[in-house]
Amino acid sequence: MAHSKGLWLRWSWRDLRSRWLQVAAIALIIALGSGTYAGLSGYTQWRRQNYPASYQALNTHDIRVATTKGTTVPEGTLLGSLDQLEHPEWLAGAEERLIVPTQVDASAAGSTILVPGEIVGVDVTGGGPDIDQVHVMRGRAVDEGDITESRVVLDYHFAEHHGLPPTGELTLSGGRTVDYVGLGFTPDYFMVTTEQGSLLAEAGFAVMFAPLQTAQELAERPEQVNELVLTLREGVDLDAATAEVERWMDRVHPGLAAEVTPIDEERLYRLLLDDIDGDQKLFRIFALLILGGAAFAAFNLTGRIVEAQRREIGIGMSLGLSRWRIAVRPLLVGLQIALLGVVLGAGVGLVVGSLLSDLHESFLPLPVWEAPLQPGAFLSGIALGLGLVFAATVYPVWRAVRVDPVDAIATGPRSTRGSGVAPLLRRIPVPGSSIAQFPLRNVLRSPRRTALTAFGIAAAIAVLVAVIGMVDSFLSTIDKGEADILGPTPERVNVTLDFFYPTDAEQVQAISEVEGVAAAEPGLALGGSLVDGSEGDIDVFIQLIDFDNELWTPTPVEGSLETESPSVVISEKAAADLGVEPGDTVTLRHPRREGLVDYSFVESELPVSAIHPNPYRFMLYMDLDDAALMNLEGIVNTVAVEPEPGVSGDEMKRALFGRDGVAAVEPVADVAGTLEDAMEDALGFLDVVRGAVLVLALLIAFNSTSISADERAREHATMLAFGVRPRTVLLTEMGESLIIGVLATLLGIGLGRLIITWLVRVLLPSTMPDITVWIDVAPATYLTAAVMGVVAVSIAPLLTIRRLRRMDIPSALRVVE
Amino acid sequence: MAMIELEGVARRFETGAGRVSALTDVDLRVDTGEFVVVLGPSGSGKTTLLNLIGALDSPTEGVARVAGRDLTQASRSELFEYRRESVSFVFQTFNLFPGLTALENVRFGADVAGVDDAPAVAERVLVDVGLGDRAAHFPAQLSGGEQQRVAIARALATGNEVLLADEPTGELDFQTGVQILELLRADAERGAAVLVVTHNREISRIADRVVELSGGRVVSDGPPPEGRKPVSDLHW
Ligand SMILES: Nc1ncnc2c1ncn2[C@@H]1O[C@H](COP(=O)(O)OP(=O)(O)OP(=O)(O)O)[C@@H](O)[C@H]1O
Ligand SMILES: [Mg+2]
Repeated sequence: MAHSKGLWLRWSWRDLRSRWLQVAAIALIIALGSGTYAGLSGYTQWRRQNYPASYQALNTHDIRVATTKGTTVPEGTLLGSLDQLEHPEWLAGAEERLIVPTQVDASAAGSTILVPGEIVGVDVTGGGPDIDQVHVMRGRAVDEGDITESRVVLDYHFAEHHGLPPTGELTLSGGRTVDYVGLGFTPDYFMVTTEQGSLLAEAGFAVMFAPLQTAQELAERPEQVNELVLTLREGVDLDAATAEVERWMDRVHPGLAAEVTPIDEERLYRLLLDDIDGDQKLFRIFALLILGGAAFAAFNLTGRIVEAQRREIGIGMSLGLSRWRIAVRPLLVGLQIALLGVVLGAGVGLVVGSLLSDLHESFLPLPVWEAPLQPGAFLSGIALGLGLVFAATVYPVWRAVRVDPVDAIATGPRSTRGSGVAPLLRRIPVPGSSIAQFPLRNVLRSPRRTALTAFGIAAAIAVLVAVIGMVDSFLSTIDKGEADILGPTPERVNVTLDFFYPTDAEQVQAISEVEGVAAAEPGLALGGSLVDGSEGDIDVFIQLIDFDNELWTPTPVEGSLETESPSVVISEKAAADLGVEPGDTVTLRHPRREGLVDYSFVESELPVSAIHPNPYRFMLYMDLDDAALMNLEGIVNTVAVEPEPGVSGDEMKRALFGRDGVAAVEPVADVAGTLEDAMEDALGFLDVVRGAVLVLALLIAFNSTSISADERAREHATMLAFGVRPRTVLLTEMGESLIIGVLATLLGIGLGRLIITWLVRVLLPSTMPDITVWIDVAPATYLTAAVMGVVAVSIAPLLTIRRLRRMDIPSALRVVE
Repeated sequence: MAMIELEGVARRFETGAGRVSALTDVDLRVDTGEFVVVLGPSGSGKTTLLNLIGALDSPTEGVARVAGRDLTQASRSELFEYRRESVSFVFQTFNLFPGLTALENVRFGADVAGVDDAPAVAERVLVDVGLGDRAAHFPAQLSGGEQQRVAIARALATGNEVLLADEPTGELDFQTGVQILELLRADAERGAAVLVVTHNREISRIADRVVELSGGRVVSDGPPPEGRKPVSDLHW
């Protein structure tokens, strides 16, 4: 028996070798699928381990107490009263800090970099800060010695984006200059996010980490702070502690409006951690699609190997061999393909993993980033690859050994008595000469094979359509938002004031008198939230503007801005999440001024007057007249400025920069421009996707035509014997491929659309709750998919031209079925 | 008029296991309208001979002239043209296109040879071989003999002047075999040079000439010893 086992192995090995090209192609496809899966899953593991480790490494705060935007409290007020907490022993550490907005001029030779930013003043005494430490990437940190010298650490992301050196000079609002001595970031800025989102926000936002005293001095807020951060002892419940801090604020500092936020409710923290799961879901879909394509391809090949062995199987059965013994040989072939596939797949996985790791380190540098091999991810990738191929082999083998020997030995294609639609389809009359009929006839002759090939290619195309279609949809969404924001005054510049001012204050009035300013429209911007009983509150950015102003108002897509009573204009996404429409009432939590500088949060029931078309959920508009609701009548903190014709946004920025009361100047067009930049960067990545999909589609198509070429060697030889030229034979094969390509493309586009719909309806709402994405796949994307699907597939037969030209016609003709 | 002329033709195969001489020093001449039977035991080089005449293979030595063309000197594209327009095959293993119906298989022959009115010719020839009622059937739905007749119809439909048939009656019962031979004879009578390979000595009785091969050499060449008999005289 040992001898005979060796024979089976040798025999299956011979089967394999005689089809080595196809076997290699399938193994490669499986490698791409299982390797991508393993690489992506491993990457997810790294993120799961390194994100928390990075937060830990910098001793990140557990609870943040932040006073209402624009307000401060004397240093020590909060810190000094912590002993009045119910359980002061729960705290491991506490620090106060001052975060103030500013305008930064980081212009270097040849480029104007004028952006809003903020100064984060932290306690540097004794090597501090202890909480939310600064991770220095280049240069050095700031310490006590820098307090009197106006020295800061500049945000690494911003500097890196603009290619700034590790040390240098910056000019701030008011004309003050500071030296930055290093580049780095704190956990709050692992990724730079602004109210407009996180995509390339670092390009337009400069954060500086400074000693507290330096920040106070630059902001002209001596001895003032506006944040308290706390760390808890190990084992203390975060929710309980947060509730306690809230009670402490109400009890000990009743007049102080402040937001108490546990770390797990902070936007960036959630964004980073939720992203991992969201991305993993997405990765899994793409990897599974590739694996699915691989499975179809494997199924196709092994099925056809088994088909080709039907007579041998029949002979074996008539010789009395057991089914199991007969099945061993094709099963061994399947196993060998799978093994080769996963060995190559491990290589692909390592490459994908290290690419992603490098990409991550440049895109989101973290203090801790370790990327050890993830055996679990690899094992699951390997198991998937092995399992899929093996399953793809078992089924045709099982079918083959179940037939009666007499049917197996019978000559002629087995579809004689045919399964399913094949016999019906074959009767369809096809116009044209007999040669012109070959493509369609061949497709109809073997609908199952056609379907398998088409499915494989369709899976690849679906990945393409889904990835690029998502980007299209994002771009289109951004475009719509941009069109709304720009409105009739695209040159508009938004000025953020450094504090609340009466409308007739000199600081506000002066803005309209600046040279180049055509019109100025003051407004109010406040933080708040829409109260939602079921899902948790929706943070909103409340902008109060005069709804009768000439410069800009939101364009209602539903409802109207003309209302009597106080009302809100909310986003489509917020309306959908709250389940309201114009006319319904929502509960808005917003600040309300008490006395001169104290604020408290109150809830107001307000009707929704209209829905605006901005995709960002947090955009909420109210009429400036409704400021009475906040007890802020006649008080403003923003000014929209329309430059005179011919005055550019940059010139306007320069003109307003550094004026008294001005914290930030931002042309409204800049936001959109930054997003477009981000998309430019993404284009490189899309090329990779396109390339990979093309290779995958080509491999599958090549594999299929190559198997066809084997199966049809006799037919081709017959055609050549009748004087049909090789190029004509090739054309018939290409015609057949073209039909399959068109089917695959249609299928792939449909599948891709389904995936996008799923992403937008199911995945995005949980991972990116702040934005609506409208599905809008660009025609160019469909065109790319069609070109790839159809072209890749129809040129695949060209790869067999050599074989056709060199064919030994007599031998091919002599082969007995 | 000489349609096929072979002079000193040899075909050797180099294989890993050594050199095989399939044909050695073969001289052969077949005129238009001649019906020639090639006889010989298995492995004597009969198929190799047909392959050389049909330009599916080329001789390692000697000259082959068919239909006024020197096959040994012809270019690739001339050979393709020759195969389309001068010669047609009936293979030992039929080699029908499984994806085409009987009629479409026949039509294929007419199409590639550039026959005018190919659809009508194909239909007529299929009726001639007695399969008019099986036109829409696929090869897998036909018996071995029926498939062979379709293969012959496909060759006849080309209307080419040289017809090469390799064991056309191998799979057939006597009755059908006779029908087939009649068709081939009729083709010769229309002026084609017909070469039929067989190891059935009986069939050689209806030939104009019998060429016997043995070990790759022509061992005899001449009319049947008892003179040419009509097809109706055959029995086996
Ligand atoms: N491609 C090849 N490589 C090696 N040897 C070959 C090749 N083709 C034919 N031969 C050898 O040439 C000899 C003649 O073969 P051929 O096929 O012409 O015989 P045949 O007379 O047609 O036999 P049969 O009656 O069995 O069909 C045989 O010995 C065969 O093994
Ligand atoms: Mg032979």
